[in-house]
Amino acid sequence: MQFKFLPTTLLALTLFAVGCDDDGTATPTGDYSAIIENITDDVIISTYADLDVQAQQLLEALNTMEATPTTANLEAARQAWRDAREPWELSEGFLYGPVDTKGLDPALDSWPVNQTDLDNVLASSNDLTVAYVDGLDGTLKGFHTIEYLLFGANGDKQVGDFNDRQFEYLSACGQSLKNTTAQLVGGWLPSEGNFGKNFKQAGTSGSIYPSQKNVLEEIMNGLVTIADEVANGKINEPFAQQNVALEESRFSANSKADFADNIRSIQNVWLGTHLNATGSGMSSLIAVKDPALDIKVRGEIEAAISAIENIEGTFTTAIFDHPSDVQAAQQAVRDLLTTLQGEVLPLVSNL
Amino acid sequence: MKSILKLLLVVTIFASCQNDDDHLASLDPDEAKSGGGTTVFGTFSTLFEQPAANLNAVEADLHFKGNVGFEGTFVTAPAVVNPGLGPFFNNTSCAACHGRNGRSPFPEDANDLGGLLLRISVPGVGPHGGPLLVPGYGGQLQQRAIYNTQPEAEVEIEWEELIRTFADGETVTLRKPIFKLKNGYDGNLPSSVLISPRIASQVIGLGLFEAISEADILSFSDENDADGNGISGRPNFVFDEKKQQMALGRFGWKCGQPTLEQQTAGAFVEDMGVTSPLFPNENCGDNPACDATADDPEISEETLHAAVFYTQSLGVPARRSVDDVQVRKGKALFQKAGCDGCHRASFTTAQHPDGLAFLSIQKIYPYTDLLLHDMGEGLADNRPDYAANGQEWRTAPLWGIGLTPIINGHTDFLHDGRARSLMEAVLWHGGEAEKSRQTVEKMSKKDREALVVFLESL
Repeated sequence: MQFKFLPTTLLALTLFAVGCDDDGTATPTGDYSAIIENITDDVIISTYADLDVQAQQLLEALNTMEATPTTANLEAARQAWRDAREPWELSEGFLYGPVDTKGLDPALDSWPVNQTDLDNVLASSNDLTVAYVDGLDGTLKGFHTIEYLLFGANGDKQVGDFNDRQFEYLSACGQSLKNTTAQLVGGWLPSEGNFGKNFKQAGTSGSIYPSQKNVLEEIMNGLVTIADEVANGKINEPFAQQNVALEESRFSANSKADFADNIRSIQNVWLGTHLNATGSGMSSLIAVKDPALDIKVRGEIEAAISAIENIEGTFTTAIFDHPSDVQAAQQAVRDLLTTLQGEVLPLVSNL
Repeated sequence: MKSILKLLLVVTIFASCQNDDDHLASLDPDEAKSGGGTTVFGTFSTLFEQPAANLNAVEADLHFKGNVGFEGTFVTAPAVVNPGLGPFFNNTSCAACHGRNGRSPFPEDANDLGGLLLRISVPGVGPHGGPLLVPGYGGQLQQRAIYNTQPEAEVEIEWEELIRTFADGETVTLRKPIFKLKNGYDGNLPSSVLISPRIASQVIGLGLFEAISEADILSFSDENDADGNGISGRPNFVFDEKKQQMALGRFGWKCGQPTLEQQTAGAFVEDMGVTSPLFPNENCGDNPACDATADDPEISEETLHAAVFYTQSLGVPARRSVDDVQVRKGKALFQKAGCDGCHRASFTTAQHPDGLAFLSIQKIYPYTDLLLHDMGEGLADNRPDYAANGQEWRTAPLWGIGLTPIINGHTDFLHDGRARSLMEAVLWHGGEAEKSRQTVEKMSKKDREALVVFLESL
């Protein structure tokens, strides 16, 4: 009889152990605060802050070129464009939050450029002020419009090909872009939009995410989304259709840098780094649960970056002249995507 | 003797864990899978962009192609990529209004309505019993235009307020936008123009709606309230351009579209000025600035078909916290208030009309009857749309609504986005829903909170 009492006691004890909280479900264990805080502050906000700084440099370079149009100043402006492009591409592994919900992505990175309307705007006598540019569609401003005007349709524009209207428009677009990057970093900062609170206070009434696990899912899906976009969109569309018009950063021949920086965006979130900061990233979590998987992801990230950077020539010419290089890069990104989606995401979903 | 004591022990302990065991709605074992086999799981911002969980490889491929079309940004012709925008448009891509396949917020600026568009008409009845188009302007206001083209008109927004008071004295201030048009391009904007604001809706679950049988939808119609419960849902019949005959309307805020193909092609041409084989004429009729370029259709049948398939093949998000005690309490209150008289929890789909197996014979939980209901004066647009009168609206599907903050970063609801929270949306319910709303107004704060928590689980 003593023996028979045991199962019932165990049942009763189990009921208490599971927790008689209101939702009748077991409360999840695991505190991911360090990872979430580090990714929020030292990867996401840090990247956006750097983008904002580079956008200011770009604006200044455009103003300098407008004031003193020389080949050297044109080249400096082009380099400033590339330098601003880098943190933007480094941010595409986390396209959630205000970049999406506040319409900042279309203002910064719409593609294609509305070249017909742009030509008409430039040919008009409208005052090319920031306010005017602010009222235009994203396809008439942002990175790609500036790129089109700076580099020309074939990437070989000379300083003598510019006119005053183009210089004015570039300056106005530069200011508009800078205003937008300020909104972007502001959207996450505690002093302004404070979207970061949703990440850091997940699971409380201060957050739209019911749990920290949901934030980790959001972070992981951001990585999956950009890997998918690079392999199956940015690379695939022009490559599979053998059509350079479908290449997004064609004018500046910057596609390889764009793609590599997109994968570095994944790397930064994975390792919890940006610039010189170090801290916990997704790797910290996965290394505990499945060390081999963490090593695999790190390796695939590095392999994808290498494969992209090893494409011979520009992406524009490589899709015709070096298809096996492009194929290899695409496959390397697809391998990373498969691992992130097929192995890491389920692990996170089952936390 | 000892076994009875053991039993009492267990029962006592068990009972003490269940502190509110009355007024909990029962659970349907399938109800978390809101989209049946198409259901996708998670709580992240791209959840509405996931393909249905049950697509095969060929379908997944077509879904991806359609995704490209859905996200593609159109520009002014001539252009090498995506020409055909305008000349009059509301936005430049599907995704620009239907952000993340979710719903648009109320615009911040009347000069840039974003994902909100205005359907217009003049009093009277147009072709096939539909709205009578405004001469020179058509049936929709396109607020934007390509360069060098004067926009159709400007929009002004004024606000009215309405205060609702709960039985416990707490008040909620509701706001209602009143839209006016001015500076019509031809100086001939009729003062009698009727305006119906329509905000961009979420794009999930639409293929499943196509797969519900007409008989099932009509079986819940009760136009004359024969059962005396105060609810009198009825169908809208609209013109099907492809079949050239009247058909049951099931898509849109007033059941204005019969099929996803017509909805999608209609949106391409009305919202973006992009013509297709189904609608090869620009949206600007007798406006002299209308696009005379012989580039129509501006998208091919293949592109249209892929975009339509995309809308058919998106996953529906699973519910969250289905067995949470507060959610179950809220569900019971939802039923008690009669909300499910229109927001019917479940349907089982029939064979999809185009034979799409992944949509067929699925038990789904959209929380709508897809019928028109009189919602009272406060919500009226006063613009008839086929059989729908000026006070009638389609029961809005509630699946996915709780994810709006995560998908779209806002909580604006109802046909014009006027409600800034789920409770505000509830408090606008009138007409056939008047009694239900009054029931909610009498609820305790705790019960009201449970009701909202239930809605947030959808």
